Amino acid sequence: MASSSYSNPPCAACKFLRRKCLPDCIFAPYFPPEEPQKFANVHKIFGASNVSKLLNEVLPHQREDAVNSLAYEAEARMKDPVYGCVGAISVLQRQVIRLQKELDATNADLIRYACNEIPSTFGRFRMGHGGSSSATSYDQNSALYYPSPWNNDTCGDTQEKRDHGSF
Amino acid sequence: MTLKGGTSQACAACKYRRRKCSSKCPLAPYFLPDQPKLFQNAHKLFGVSNILKILKNLEPRQKEEAMRSIIYQSNIRDKFPVHGCWGIICQLHYQIRQAEEELHAVHSQLDMYKQYQQHQISSLTDDAPSQLELGMATPSNALSIFGHPTTPQPYNAVTTSPVTQQHSYSNSNNAGYSCGYLDSKDHLGNSWWVQHTYATTNNNNNNNTNPMAIQSQLVASQPLAIQQEVVQDYDEIHPFFDTIDDRQSYIDSKEAYESSSEESLKDTIQSIEQVAENELKSAAACFSLTSVN
Repeated sequence: MASSSYSNPPCAACKFLRRKCLPDCIFAPYFPPEEPQKFANVHKIFGASNVSKLLNEVLPHQREDAVNSLAYEAEARMKDPVYGCVGAISVLQRQVIRLQKELDATNADLIRYACNEIPSTFGRFRMGHGGSSSATSYDQNSALYYPSPWNNDTCGDTQEKRDHGSF
Repeated sequence: MTLKGGTSQACAACKYRRRKCSSKCPLAPYFLPDQPKLFQNAHKLFGVSNILKILKNLEPRQKEEAMRSIIYQSNIRDKFPVHGCWGIICQLHYQIRQAEEELHAVHSQLDMYKQYQQHQISSLTDDAPSQLELGMATPSNALSIFGHPTTPQPYNAVTTSPVTQQHSYSNSNNAGYSCGYLDSKDHLGNSWWVQHTYATTNNNNNNNTNPMAIQSQLVASQPLAIQQEVVQDYDEIHPFFDTIDDRQSYIDSKEAYESSSEESLKDTIQSIEQVAENELKSAAACFSLTSVN
């Protein structure tokens, strides 16, 4: 392969694939030659053609984000072939649930103290909504964006929307 | 495509690839014929050969778990083509951080109530007759008592965000709360795209008003560091699928976790201002009753 002294060095993808890195190479901006492992991981888990198709489907200004997220997921899958990055999601979700329960319990304590301290003002305010509403609002807002990893209904076929209940 | 002479239908994978689905098809147990979208998503992200490579060296039980995670990851990528699962992890970290900060603030307020209670008890014990006559604490005590924020407002106390926020500001415990909101994004790897994620108004996220985004304090560094710490955690939890909360909704919106965090911050600020006003009024009222002038 004749290398021109005026051309840029091949990107990590083209180096890995042992092909000429063209000026319009879709991988070049996101897989610099200094980070060969990044593309190696992505290629091993997802495949270059899948990544290329995915990048072509997103807008140019979103491609860097897409590549970085793929690189993260690929590395996670390399480290844990069974769960990949989904394991991390499960752990974090449980942490969120635990914190929310603790928050609700602490808020309940706060209500009790407030009631005991200012009983005359108790009736002027709507009680019991803060803790539950915070939990409810939290429930409604915290995890509505994505399904639980192990819900069998997480599928584009069913497109099922499920109301988020309380913790 | 059905098997000739057989009663079972070809799996979604073989249907999609227009191949004969044998009884030993490795993907048949995971891609049922009535769920073609699942396989399409998985095939789009991973590809059949890569999926089989992943399953190759796993035990049968591990294969099932791995396929579930692959299917989930693929579905998430279908819904969120740009950020995928990484975006969800960032959001969860942000939620955790926010919950931790709120918890800290509520604990602080609880301690304040306890101190107030103890103070009240001790002041009643010291000056019982005057307390009984006046029905209130001594002026100096009253001043100090009513100088505490948020005491007489239970509903504010339990509407966690405004009160805790106000308490945070008053005690300067979380002086960098508003900054922390931004810093949490900065601390994430490739933070600019996370800011972009949370800054843009989400036209699909219609149901959310307070996406309390939090970042774990563990995740003050790069994404790989985050991953390493979390990996260490979840390596010990096999299996954990049964305990996952499956009551989270699955909406159609793309990039749904983007934005509305700015809106929640505005709501919080407005609530804080309302609380501050109420406290001033109550403090003024009490002042007039307990003034020593």
